[in-house]
Amino acid sequence: MAAAAIHQFAECITCHAWSPDHSMIAFCPNNNEVHIYKFFTDKWEKLHVLSKHDQIVSGIDWSRSSNKIVTVSHDRNSYVWTQEGHDWVPTLVILKLNRAALCVQWSPKENKFAVGSGAKSVCICYYEQENNWWISKVVRKKHESSVTSVAWHPNNILLATTSTDGKCRVFSTFIKGVDTRGSHTSTSTDWKFGEQIAQLDLSSMWAFGVRWSPSGKTLAYAGHNSMIYFIDDVETSPAAQNLALRDLPLRDILFLSERTVIGVGFDCNPMIFSADETGLWSFVRYLDERKVTTSTSRASQLSEALGKLYGQSKQAASSDTVEPSKPRGGAHENCITIGW
Amino acid sequence: MANTLRLYLTCIRNTLEAAMCLQNFPCQEVERHNKPEVELKTSPELLLNPVLICRNEAEKCLIETSINSIRISMKVKQADELENILAKKFLRFLSMRAEAFQVLRRKPVQGYDISFLITNYHCEDMHKHKLIDFIVQFMEDIDKEISELKLSVNTRGRLVATEFLKQFI
Repeated sequence: MAAAAIHQFAECITCHAWSPDHSMIAFCPNNNEVHIYKFFTDKWEKLHVLSKHDQIVSGIDWSRSSNKIVTVSHDRNSYVWTQEGHDWVPTLVILKLNRAALCVQWSPKENKFAVGSGAKSVCICYYEQENNWWISKVVRKKHESSVTSVAWHPNNILLATTSTDGKCRVFSTFIKGVDTRGSHTSTSTDWKFGEQIAQLDLSSMWAFGVRWSPSGKTLAYAGHNSMIYFIDDVETSPAAQNLALRDLPLRDILFLSERTVIGVGFDCNPMIFSADETGLWSFVRYLDERKVTTSTSRASQLSEALGKLYGQSKQAASSDTVEPSKPRGGAHENCITIGW
Repeated sequence: MANTLRLYLTCIRNTLEAAMCLQNFPCQEVERHNKPEVELKTSPELLLNPVLICRNEAEKCLIETSINSIRISMKVKQADELENILAKKFLRFLSMRAEAFQVLRRKPVQGYDISFLITNYHCEDMHKHKLIDFIVQFMEDIDKEISELKLSVNTRGRLVATEFLKQFI
């Protein structure tokens, strides 16, 4: 499959996120700014420049229903941007971190977001109505190295993280007053905030790009040893499958449906994986037909093309899948980051 | 190109292709810093196993990889004292102009003649395959350059000696 369209926005794009209707894109052109572009009939036009950070922006997520953008940066801060009229208004979130923030994701209900950081910790931030302020609660002393990726379980409580110590962990993020006890299944009623539900020690190398399947049944992440790991039923009885790749390691993955996964990474060519009826995962093919040697030439273009491709296929495929758009954004994000 | 040299360079090229998977990674130890981990070596989990590729005892290449940087050190063949001096002077000349080369390290790693340091920023600005081409081309040319220098020094020496000895005829 060839790329649907190629747009060159900047020399290098570190991360990006799509607007809920896929008409706009927010990205960081490898500096401290976030640019928002909108697609008008035949071309992309720059609408806004969000410049509040003072170091490179490492993560962007655009909430699906509440239309908020959260950005995190190496300057240890995070901003939540809300649209008022034509402008985007920032709200500073004090993360209580003393190292760079690396990744961010909105929870499915969009009342919390998680930030992974180089301080070997994860922040869970939630909005406090009384004070009109975002509060951050930190999960400390669980990771042995930087947290490279975070992913929310559809139940809004469980959070999966991957770290450069090679482990994938699952935490409970139950916050009193924000989550209700009835909102999750019976086995999870006594999970406290920051409690480690599972620790997966499959990869001997750095782990990246953790994602839950749309139903939350399967968890997948990539290792820097060119492996991709699929784990079923993490909370109860984990069953893992490892898949070794022939090419360079993956940096991020994306569930298209329960049985289809796209992996992107240092190979600059997205890979499709799928599971058969018995749940056995296998590599299907490359998404892009171009040879590796040619596709490395313009990684940012390629990634943009992929972004566009996902954006378009989203509408087409919405009838048979129910996945949120956020993991999508995550996949291009990392494809861009590592496309070079 | 000699067959063994080709094998040696192909091996280096393949290793570099696999090893050069770099990404932006801020320092875990110091606030608001972003340093090549391969130089700092403060977090052992961010370093990969170094790879040593040897053609023979005199010629070898050490590739050290970390999450955001890669260091390539090489030892150039020095058969005799003249080659030793030539290599030393030539590589020193290059090292002093490291800024112009961007990926060149100003000081070689101990035990090696010349070192390159490639960070994620270089990979963002330049194409990965071009960077690898540059390193391999450099290794290919350095031997040639030194043999040529050696030849010209010898020729010059012979000429000077002939001219000097003419007066005794």
